Amino acid sequence: MSELLDLARSVCDRAAGKEQIEAFLTHEKTFEARAFGGEIDSVSSAEPRGAGVRVVDGGRVGFSYTTDLSESGLTACYEKARTNANFASEDEAVVLAEAWTRPPPEVSGLSDPAQAGVTAGQKVAFTVALERATKSADARIRTVEDAVYSDSEATIAIATSTGIAGTYSRTDAWGYSVAIAEDGDDTQVGFDFGLAHGLSGLDPDALGRRSADKALSVLGARKIDSARMPVVFDPYTAGQFLGVISSALTGEAVQKGRSLFAGKMDQKVAGNVTLIDDGTIAGAPASGPWDDEGTPTGRTEVITDGTLTSYLYDLVSANRDGTTSTGNASRAGFKSGPGPSPSNMAFDSTGQSREQLLLEAGNAFLVQDFHGVHSGANAVSGDFSVGATGRLIENGVLTQPVKEVTIAAPMLEILSGIVAIADDRRWLPFGGSFGGATTLIAEMTVAGS
Amino acid sequence: MTSRAALATRYPAPVLDHDVIAKVLSHAVDHGAEHAELFVENRGSTGLRLEDRRVEDVASGSDAGAGVRVMAGDKVAYAYTNVLTEDSLLEAAEAARAGLSTSGSGTATDLRQVEPEVRHPVGRPPLDVEMSEKVSAIQAADEAARSAGAEIRQVTASYSDVRQEVLIANTDGLLVRDERTRVRFAVQVVAARGDRIATGFEAPGHSGGFELLEARPPSELGAKAGAKALRMLDARPAPAGEFPVVLAPGTGGVLIHEACGHGLEADTLVKEASVYASRAGERFGSETVTIVDDGTDVGAWGSFGVDDEGTPAQRTVLFDQGVLVGHLSDRRSAEKIGYPPTGNGRRQSYAHLPIVRMTNTYLLPGPDDADEIIRSVERGVYAATFAGGEVNPATGNFVFGMSEAYMIENGEIAYPLRGANLIGNGPAVLGAIDAIGGDFDRKEGVCGKDGQHAPVTNGMSTVLLRRMTVGGTEA
Repeated sequence: MSELLDLARSVCDRAAGKEQIEAFLTHEKTFEARAFGGEIDSVSSAEPRGAGVRVVDGGRVGFSYTTDLSESGLTACYEKARTNANFASEDEAVVLAEAWTRPPPEVSGLSDPAQAGVTAGQKVAFTVALERATKSADARIRTVEDAVYSDSEATIAIATSTGIAGTYSRTDAWGYSVAIAEDGDDTQVGFDFGLAHGLSGLDPDALGRRSADKALSVLGARKIDSARMPVVFDPYTAGQFLGVISSALTGEAVQKGRSLFAGKMDQKVAGNVTLIDDGTIAGAPASGPWDDEGTPTGRTEVITDGTLTSYLYDLVSANRDGTTSTGNASRAGFKSGPGPSPSNMAFDSTGQSREQLLLEAGNAFLVQDFHGVHSGANAVSGDFSVGATGRLIENGVLTQPVKEVTIAAPMLEILSGIVAIADDRRWLPFGGSFGGATTLIAEMTVAGS
Repeated sequence: MTSRAALATRYPAPVLDHDVIAKVLSHAVDHGAEHAELFVENRGSTGLRLEDRRVEDVASGSDAGAGVRVMAGDKVAYAYTNVLTEDSLLEAAEAARAGLSTSGSGTATDLRQVEPEVRHPVGRPPLDVEMSEKVSAIQAADEAARSAGAEIRQVTASYSDVRQEVLIANTDGLLVRDERTRVRFAVQVVAARGDRIATGFEAPGHSGGFELLEARPPSELGAKAGAKALRMLDARPAPAGEFPVVLAPGTGGVLIHEACGHGLEADTLVKEASVYASRAGERFGSETVTIVDDGTDVGAWGSFGVDDEGTPAQRTVLFDQGVLVGHLSDRRSAEKIGYPPTGNGRRQSYAHLPIVRMTNTYLLPGPDDADEIIRSVERGVYAATFAGGEVNPATGNFVFGMSEAYMIENGEIAYPLRGANLIGNGPAVLGAIDAIGGDFDRKEGVCGKDGQHAPVTNGMSTVLLRRMTVGGTEA
């Protein structure tokens, strides 16, 4: 759809004098279906499109967005961005991306070629099958609160008056279900999801089973006595934890005094593990040839063998630190300007299988779910105090389900406590794309009764 | 004042006349759907953000679109577009009805326009306020916060206004327009001393215009957030264990929202995914406990004239003197449980299907004295600000983090606590309410559900909870 790129270019053609213009346009086709009680409950489809325009003049940047892609709509949008720039503070770090001196990386696996041929009927059938698979996994599954399929087929285009012009397309599909299990007086909820580039990458039976198992596995959970013990994060909670600390790993967060990693460069901040961010991984959810301000993507080692080695940068924050962008500018969509955030971020595995890691843990607490992460985790202060549900591990074997306990420790202590990361990584969308793998932490306080 | 004509140019009203609307609706029910609805939205917004002493973001946007929803039996299909032409709307209607496999022919009643009964006055329309005045406001907050003390490290101040114009029409003949103007101002302050970092946050908002900043001056908000961040630098690790907990006015309302409100949303009740399912008439708290959801509260952040399905905003009693008596619903869930809708069908935008949401949820004031409540506690925790929370509607279990909390010793607030959270169970917490003060206050927030965000208010007075589990790091 080079029509979208032509539109983006046409906006940049309006540049007058010294001003620079960037136009970021998206055109999507989306579909969503929900099932309940063995039948389809709702379907929703749309074709949203829009433009976000930035004007930079003399170190001042203004932004505006519109859903009106007509000539007059785009002109009005440009003019608003132009006017808004007058009210921003002057900042010499503010620039648009320079024209590419080398072509952006070829990133494979962004689209599932089969997805274009998938009918609405097949998507609806998947959703119903997911609901049924979740419900029928076990007699103790009382109800399925949600069973959802969603997909998107998107074209993204960017052009700048500095000479960038690019467009690419991607397809994404995801499904999730929420199972409610009941046994006597005990009720537990289980949630899991699948992430792929098309319907063909999702298995309704396996997904439904996983959601059901998550609920079933904690039936009969009880509080345990407060103690210090080794803790194991499931891939799901490991990914969630990574999502929390990632916001403090951008250069911007450090510059602005809202990072627990400020002043920690070249220092030991974690156990002997390596954390990478890589926007070029084939098929990973946040991959793409360039980031949301047009900088080619790449691979960055953030933590190397436990030592903090790099922050993640977009253009502005890189300029402030006198370095180059790591290709980590991202936007929530055309309605917002870019800011730095991780692409696909994950710890490298230390080589063990999950089973080996559990044996290594010996007697420990396996965290399957955190509760209250958005309030109990603070990436500025590094405080981490959240509710947890999971299982006891005894001699490497999962035993008693546990609920209503709190785990609390400074985040740097948790990172430093990491002794092993299993080879069962999966990508999780916690406000970015995070690789979660079963993770062993030497010791934490588990507060129960 | 800007003339109406000038306003119309800046935010043009949807150019949909009654004929087009009627045509789209008839088209949508052409293949036998029982009900069709058209939702048209035109939204203009401004957002400013200052950080690190710099005005970094100056943004404005315009977003227009329309969605067609058709219903048949238990099923719903929806399609939306942001191209507001007759052809494009007819296409959306066709896409929506294709989502339902029905046959035959439904009917559309002639449209009759009605007016919302409640209006939320806009003193100074944000569109009439110069951008420079909005910029000055965030700078004033920054200035005041930085003056609070030498240990202030970072200040983020933001301002946003939204003017949302909606039109809802359906095959029952309803045609209604509503206008919602909302303004919110937020200041976040980070203070640091050595390795210790603490934050303070203030974020008032309302349904109305720029006059919000007269009632809540940015410099006061900045100073307040700054003082709070500085106070929290002295925080000691929170204890873990069971304690009496005093909830500060306003902020504690999030507990009611999360632990009681969500479980009474009828979509959750229908799916039997709520701990409150089939328990109407049951007593959960003492006679002082009355909880309402009130979308008519004039000027409140979560208010509107009609909801996003055109049902008038209303005040719904959820717990009357301790007894469960109500629920919240949209059209669909109301039909399933056999009651009229309560005006709680809300959507984030035209890109979303309406779902059941709270508006302004309040625990009404009680007979006790707030100071006396604190004096009555020998050793306990004073929860001054919750940072947010999470609840499992099926079990009622919740966890709330406290971004500002204090230890109460011998009836007095002794010292600040960090890393404290509150763990418990919704139905049980109502029973744990031992005293309610008269110092009612509101706190504004944004509630997320099924991937959609909605402005909501939580309100309550000082409340004493007899015994609660506090999660902290000190045994």
